[in-house]
Amino acid sequence: MVSQIHHSNIRWTGHVARCLGRQAFVELSRTAAWWTLVTALLLITIGVPTLAAAAVEAALDRDSVPAGRGALMTLRVSGGRVGKIELPEVDNLLIQARGQSQQFEIINGQSSVSAIYNYAVGSTTPGTYQIPPIGVTVDGNKLTSQPLTLKVLAAAATQAPAGIAPLPPSTPPAAADTEDTSGKRFGFLTVEPATSERKHVYVGEIAPVRIRAWLPEDARAQLHSGIQPEGQAFTLHNVSERPQQTSEVRDGKRYTVITWYGGISATKAGSYPASLSLKASVAVRDTSAPQPRRRSGGPFDDPFFDSILDRMNTPMIQQDVTLKSEDQEIEVRPLPTHGRPAGFSGAVGDFKLEAPELPRAWKTGEPQQVSARISGSGNFALVEAPKLSPPDAWKAYPGKGDFTPGDEAAFSGSKSFQFSAVPRKGGTQDVALSFSFFNPDAGAYQTVTSPAQQIRVAGTDLVEQEPNIAAAREPDKPRDPLIGQHAQLTPRRSLVPLVARPEFVRLLVIAALLCVLGGLLGWHRRRRADPMRRARTAEERATREALHAAARCAAAGDVSGYFAAARQALQHRLGSRWRQPAHAITLAEVTARMPADSPVASFFREADRNAYGHSAADGDFPQWQALLADAMASLTE
Amino acid sequence: MKIAAANPPSEFRMKAMLPLACCFLLLGLSNIIAAATPLEQANRQFAGGDFAAAASAYEQILASDGPRAAVFYNLGNSYQRLGQYGPAILAYERARLLTPRDPDLLANLTLARKAAAAFEEPRPNPRLDALLHLLSRNEWSWLVTGAACLLGGLALVCGALRLPRPGWRKAAAIAATLAALGMATGTTVLYVRRAEAARGIVLSATASVRISPFESADALGSPGPGRCVQLGRKAGGFIYLEVPGTQLRGWMADREVAAVAPN
Repeated sequence: MVSQIHHSNIRWTGHVARCLGRQAFVELSRTAAWWTLVTALLLITIGVPTLAAAAVEAALDRDSVPAGRGALMTLRVSGGRVGKIELPEVDNLLIQARGQSQQFEIINGQSSVSAIYNYAVGSTTPGTYQIPPIGVTVDGNKLTSQPLTLKVLAAAATQAPAGIAPLPPSTPPAAADTEDTSGKRFGFLTVEPATSERKHVYVGEIAPVRIRAWLPEDARAQLHSGIQPEGQAFTLHNVSERPQQTSEVRDGKRYTVITWYGGISATKAGSYPASLSLKASVAVRDTSAPQPRRRSGGPFDDPFFDSILDRMNTPMIQQDVTLKSEDQEIEVRPLPTHGRPAGFSGAVGDFKLEAPELPRAWKTGEPQQVSARISGSGNFALVEAPKLSPPDAWKAYPGKGDFTPGDEAAFSGSKSFQFSAVPRKGGTQDVALSFSFFNPDAGAYQTVTSPAQQIRVAGTDLVEQEPNIAAAREPDKPRDPLIGQHAQLTPRRSLVPLVARPEFVRLLVIAALLCVLGGLLGWHRRRRADPMRRARTAEERATREALHAAARCAAAGDVSGYFAAARQALQHRLGSRWRQPAHAITLAEVTARMPADSPVASFFREADRNAYGHSAADGDFPQWQALLADAMASLTE
Repeated sequence: MKIAAANPPSEFRMKAMLPLACCFLLLGLSNIIAAATPLEQANRQFAGGDFAAAASAYEQILASDGPRAAVFYNLGNSYQRLGQYGPAILAYERARLLTPRDPDLLANLTLARKAAAAFEEPRPNPRLDALLHLLSRNEWSWLVTGAACLLGGLALVCGALRLPRPGWRKAAAIAATLAALGMATGTTVLYVRRAEAARGIVLSATASVRISPFESADALGSPGPGRCVQLGRKAGGFIYLEVPGTQLRGWMADREVAAVAPN
């Protein structure tokens, strides 16, 4: 600050000096120096008392405490930067740090800054304890507090110290206090029916309930178990995995409420107390612990800060507890035996039969898939596939049922069934699916039946052994689910599938060879059937024959025959090339398409000359043969 | 005369052969009857409640007569009655290789699995899985082979002969397309289901998966009887396996696990 003033003064004086001249500058410099001196003296005046007040003061908030409880010791350090604090060690006396704070005070114009350190001091052994001076290093100087005395009384001899309101009866933290059991200090459970207003339930019925754990606000809880029913009369089902957490006020006290949904069911008839429990470790604020003495006049001297600071300073007690709900007597009624349908599987609730799917065409003895869906609310675990009616015309096999929950507690939803059924009787039948259940709200059994569907069953009625009359008279005997032995010996087959046997590769190779062979045959057939190729072959054959005839004529000295055969050979070759009939090719055609001095034209001219009167001698044959060979060679090229 | 002289020995031979033929016929019939008898005997033992003897009899039939679906099914029932769910599920699984859609078999296999708590791993896509398991691997193999042979036969016929009518050519083209489609589908399914060749069933409730192929090796866990596992290589008397749907993998004594389809 001072340096800032100096710096600004220098800049200002420099500027003024340039403006006003040397003398004026000297005057102003003196004034600034004087003010600087005054400022320094003021700072020294304020600072010296502050430094001079460095002190360490220790105090206990009470003179005596019961054994197992603690007093609050406050160590106030003022007048400097606090360094090391040396806490003394006293046998059987526990001193635990409980945080620190800072206090800024201005009294009669004098300010002071104090650091306040809080300690809990106590012992489980009664006696009088001397707390030696506490050494504190302040700005490098070692200061000590005054010694203190604390009386630790036996628990029975607790007395309120003078000037302090009597404390509630204290017990060691580990022991269960009276508030724990009577006032539900660590929380409690409540169980409420979620929907039904009935006061009774039926055996097997799953009654939806809302289970709520009420924990004191600011409590910290760790659950050790799921929610368990107390006793054997009830079982708990489908408790929601993700409970909801809310904050609610009950009896004027704020709680953190954790809510689950589930269902309870009774396993036997009678009246039983229904109670649930939950094991947890719960840590709550120990409101019975002594509160630190409040200072007045500080910036936090306000009821609002009081409550916050009190809560922050209140120690926590953690205890393993079993949260329980209050016992509620619930009447469990047995399912009536009167009017119980034959196909009743134990389903209790309210259900509907939906979307039955039956194939239209069947054959006796051959199984087909039947599907249906049962929706509603109740104990879906005991909901079985609907029965085909008329029952004596069908044999059904256990299938699969997929449950889709409709709510978090899986109380409502739908269950889809797929099972195989075999018709026993042939002919046209009206078939329906039916499902029986007990409706607890109506207090009666109900059977829901799908609309009858006409189907056609091919084949004759299956002949089965007559049922044992004695066995048939025992309706309550459960049917053996294991389907009996097969009497017919099935054909012997390999367990190894074809794909893993060498035959598989062999068969594929054979199939591939057949494909290749078929391709080759097809190619050959198409080649043979090609008209161009056939014409070319015929022309080659005719050319060859004509050349052979020419050679024969040459050997026999037949000039006219030679030229006729040789001309024919050339005409065949040219006809194939020019795609014209061989006989239509004349000298005029040849000279029109080929040079006049070409061997072909020359041979045609020689042939015409011989043919039209200018016979030549036999001795010219070698020359004609050479010309013919040249002509054929030029056409081959 | 010669002919007349030759007749008596021929008639004599015929007369002599007739009783012999009857003997052979009776012997053959008795053999056929005798072949059916062990199954009936075993079924009678089962009906009488002697499930252990019935199981032993079914095993003997399988050993002497080869794999038959009905015998495997009856064997599975016997083991299920004895509470030996591992061998029961193995027998049912082997029967399922032969008769994959037998409803009685599927129902009893489900019962055994429920009793042993050895459920099949849920499939990520049930519809696709149902399509893949519409036929057994053997049936898919025959489909592929049949389609290939049909394709080859069609190629041969169409190559060798020119089909005279356009309708025939069209039918041949459709058949060839279907055969190619069947081949492609079957090959794809067999490829996807190739891991089933190494399926095994845990036989014993005390069967443990160990970290190495030694009796003294630490046990990692017990999959439970009837649990379907994926078999790997063998080492000594142990076989490496993985339990589908879990992280459990290691070595198990080969007496405690059996392949569904023996190699």
